[in-house]
Amino acid sequence: MARHVVPDLLPGTLDLLILRTLQTQSLHGWAISERIQQISQDVLQINQGSLYPALHRLEHQGWIQAEWAVSELGRRAKYYRLTPSGRRQLAAEAGEWERMSTAIGRVMKLA
Amino acid sequence: MNLRDLFLRIRALTAPHRVERELHEELTFHIERETQKHIAAGLSPVHARTRALARFGAVPLAADQCRDARGTGVVDDVARDILYALRTFRRAPLAALTIVATVALGLGLIAMAFTLFSAFFLRSDAVQHASELVAVERLARSAVEGSTPARADALSFTRAEYEAMRRETSVFTDAVAMLRPVRTRIEGRLVTGSLVSGNFFQTLGVQAALGRPLVTGDDERFAGRPVIVLSHVGWKKLFASDPMVIGRSVRINAAPYEIVGVMPDGFRGLGILSPDYWAPLALAGQFRDSYAGKQDETLVEVIGRLKPRLSVEAADAALTTWASRRRDRTAVPAEPGAVIVRPSQGILSTDTLTALLFFSPIFFAFGLILMIGCANVANLLLARGVARQREIGIRLSLGASRRRILRQLLTENLLLALIAAAGGFVVARSALEGALYLATTTVPPELLAVDLTLFVPTVTDWRVVVFLMAGATISTAFFGLAPALYATRLELVRTMRGEVTRDAHPRRMRQRLIGLQVGASALLLICAAIFLRGAAMASTVKPGLRTSDTVWVPISNESRRAALLQAVMAEPSVAAVAASSQPSNFVVETAARRVTVGMMPVSPGYFDLLDVDLVSGRGFTQAERTAEAGVMIVSETTSRRLWPDRNAVGQVLRLELPPSAARGASPSESAIPSRTFTIVGVVREAGEGFLLPDMFTFRGIYLPAGPEHAGTSLILRVRGEPEQARQTLVERLTSVDPGVGSITTMRAMAGMQTSVLRFAFQVTVVLGGLALILTVSGLFSVLSYVVEQRTREIGVRMALGATVRSVAGLVLSQSLRPVGIGLAAGASLAAAAAIALMATPAASAIGDMVRVFDPVAYALSGLVVVTACALAAWVPAMRACRLDPVATLRQD
Repeated sequence: MARHVVPDLLPGTLDLLILRTLQTQSLHGWAISERIQQISQDVLQINQGSLYPALHRLEHQGWIQAEWAVSELGRRAKYYRLTPSGRRQLAAEAGEWERMSTAIGRVMKLA
Repeated sequence: MNLRDLFLRIRALTAPHRVERELHEELTFHIERETQKHIAAGLSPVHARTRALARFGAVPLAADQCRDARGTGVVDDVARDILYALRTFRRAPLAALTIVATVALGLGLIAMAFTLFSAFFLRSDAVQHASELVAVERLARSAVEGSTPARADALSFTRAEYEAMRRETSVFTDAVAMLRPVRTRIEGRLVTGSLVSGNFFQTLGVQAALGRPLVTGDDERFAGRPVIVLSHVGWKKLFASDPMVIGRSVRINAAPYEIVGVMPDGFRGLGILSPDYWAPLALAGQFRDSYAGKQDETLVEVIGRLKPRLSVEAADAALTTWASRRRDRTAVPAEPGAVIVRPSQGILSTDTLTALLFFSPIFFAFGLILMIGCANVANLLLARGVARQREIGIRLSLGASRRRILRQLLTENLLLALIAAAGGFVVARSALEGALYLATTTVPPELLAVDLTLFVPTVTDWRVVVFLMAGATISTAFFGLAPALYATRLELVRTMRGEVTRDAHPRRMRQRLIGLQVGASALLLICAAIFLRGAAMASTVKPGLRTSDTVWVPISNESRRAALLQAVMAEPSVAAVAASSQPSNFVVETAARRVTVGMMPVSPGYFDLLDVDLVSGRGFTQAERTAEAGVMIVSETTSRRLWPDRNAVGQVLRLELPPSAARGASPSESAIPSRTFTIVGVVREAGEGFLLPDMFTFRGIYLPAGPEHAGTSLILRVRGEPEQARQTLVERLTSVDPGVGSITTMRAMAGMQTSVLRFAFQVTVVLGGLALILTVSGLFSVLSYVVEQRTREIGVRMALGATVRSVAGLVLSQSLRPVGIGLAAGASLAAAAAIALMATPAASAIGDMVRVFDPVAYALSGLVVVTACALAAWVPAMRACRLDPVATLRQD
């Protein structure tokens, strides 16, 4: 089984993935990690230990905002949602990512 | 940093428990949710939980990283570092105490220098808007072109001019006039007063602490009220801070004055040192006889409060225009020249750069002690760093970063330095008191124009506190940084095994520190030796005037002159009486040249009484008692200057009145008519030296005068011990005139030079001694430590047949190089400073005082340093020699 821990990828990728996951809805930490794993079809398994520091860092940068809400388990959980400045950051980072992966793809194909 | 971030950080700092709880809740929720997922997939609850935990990894680590993301880690760390540091101090209290004491001593000494600096240059007087206050001065042109540069004269306006300036110009919101200092006696004690215009306190915006200040009504023209206001120091000194003092009557110059108020602590009346009291300027005639009945002619200092937004240049221009217009209107031929204003805030100068230049040698000397102390501490910390290798090694291998440990060590050092700064405050205060006590006991008190104890600030000067804090921080960088860097440069594995790593031996660093210390001590001791030799030289120099049995009696109260003279004549211990006035400069004209010379009126007995020998001609006869006699006596150099090619006796010269005499500067000068004089005698020079009264170094022309003439002071030859005679005279004469000035033996006056040098010697020798003690103790502890560290090696050497001499040499060689280099550096620094000093304009004055290249001084202090260092090295060397090789080899 091909398992990748995300920080092994390019640095900053975890932040990008978190921001993208939060684009449409607000989620708590566990849900973010589950969702990334599901969508990547189990290829990307987030190191859960580094997920929370990343979330706190993003919160301090003002890109995401946390609020407490009742979860599916019936108890309080901390939900994160994207702020307007986080949305701008995501757009910028996604564009950058796009450029990068296209470039790498071209090199892999043509070089 | 954005607002959200700031909010989160503040929240983390102000509600740490809540933030922690939330973090815990968040992480627990994650684990639980993951467990739920596994249970749903069919695992047993225990198994599911284990799985979830394994997948998450170390929970505390993740929590810690979340805390780091908060960015409040620094604060937490500092708090933890401080706790850790306090625990370290408790474990090794002696080391902590040594560091604190050493640094406190150094910081205290330099803070003491700073306290004085602050008093002279930074501490503006406690008045409203001190920055608006300016002194008004007239730029005087010297009598003869080019002989002296133009200089500002503080006492350059008469009271009438001051009143006119207030009325006719519009540069000031108000201006005050001051006549200071007036030295008198109150209840038999010598005090300093200041005569001020009635608007003085109101203009400065100072309220009385008790009673009332002086007001305009006290200072009406020709109707001054006999009232005084005490300063805080005067109140303390004369009345022991008695709150019931208001309304009491005191006698000043035999007249009764009522005390109407006491001014607050900290108000110094626009001076560096506060006077003891203030009295109305209208009463100037009672303090200076020359002003009696001539109130408008009182020469005063004028201090103005500039109108807001008026520049100094504009004020200068307006005042100069006013002065020139005024000259046209008045008949008095006032001096031409510009009128300028200068900031006046009760400090020497607002020009901080000049001030720093003036004070830098003092700061440097005191700073050297701090530096030597810091070097000692650095050496101690280097040694401790080796001892703490295990502790630091363990922390490093547990994952602490080097930066983190560096910060820990520096926090520890800074904490010690701040404790030392608090101690330094106490040291500074007591050192200042000690030094001033030393000064007052070295210099005869009747010669001191000011009460030195006033320099000890009564209220805490916040600048000194700031200075100490900054000093502590800088010292920490100096003594703590390098040892901390060395201590954290470790090879982890070997340290954990308990081996002391070889490359943690910062030997070169240690040697540099010792060299630095030796150099600084040598420099200070050289200075001390130069001052000592200067003092010894000065005390052997003959003062030129007879001082063994002579006493000087100034007369400040002309109305009591006759009575005083009678009392002196009647005193059985007085053998002879002469008199002299202050010398002043005049322009004289001979057939060939025109020069400015000093001129001093003296009585006929002057030369005899003071043993000034006649070279040729005769002295003044008893009949020649005024300038009207038309005779003069010149000193040898002046005679050569005026008549290089012939004997002066019988020559004629013409005296020209300087413009200032026409303005009635002093009664003795205006009494001399412009006329022709004949030289009747030539006398030997008086002495040489600095800091001596004019009488001792006078070179010029003597005019005849008599003790009965206004403006002269009495010189008495007494029988028996002069000091005893002086005390008898003080007692007898204060009963005749309670305001009589400071009666002094001429021996004390001549000893001023020696006293000052001796004081400089005492200060530098204390500093040098301290420096040497610190250096020696540093050298001693470093060598002892080296011997201890190398016990095994020495044991092996001895077992292999090394002689006692070679072992001793091994230890001594450790100190030889740094001591040698330090000594050379110290001596060359002293020589370089001397060369720099001799290049300044003050060279000749310094040359009179001390010989800056005195080889004996250099050799002597070098010898002291080398001996002390040899002694410090001797003990550890001997200990190394006495090691038992078998015992050392059997260890571990």
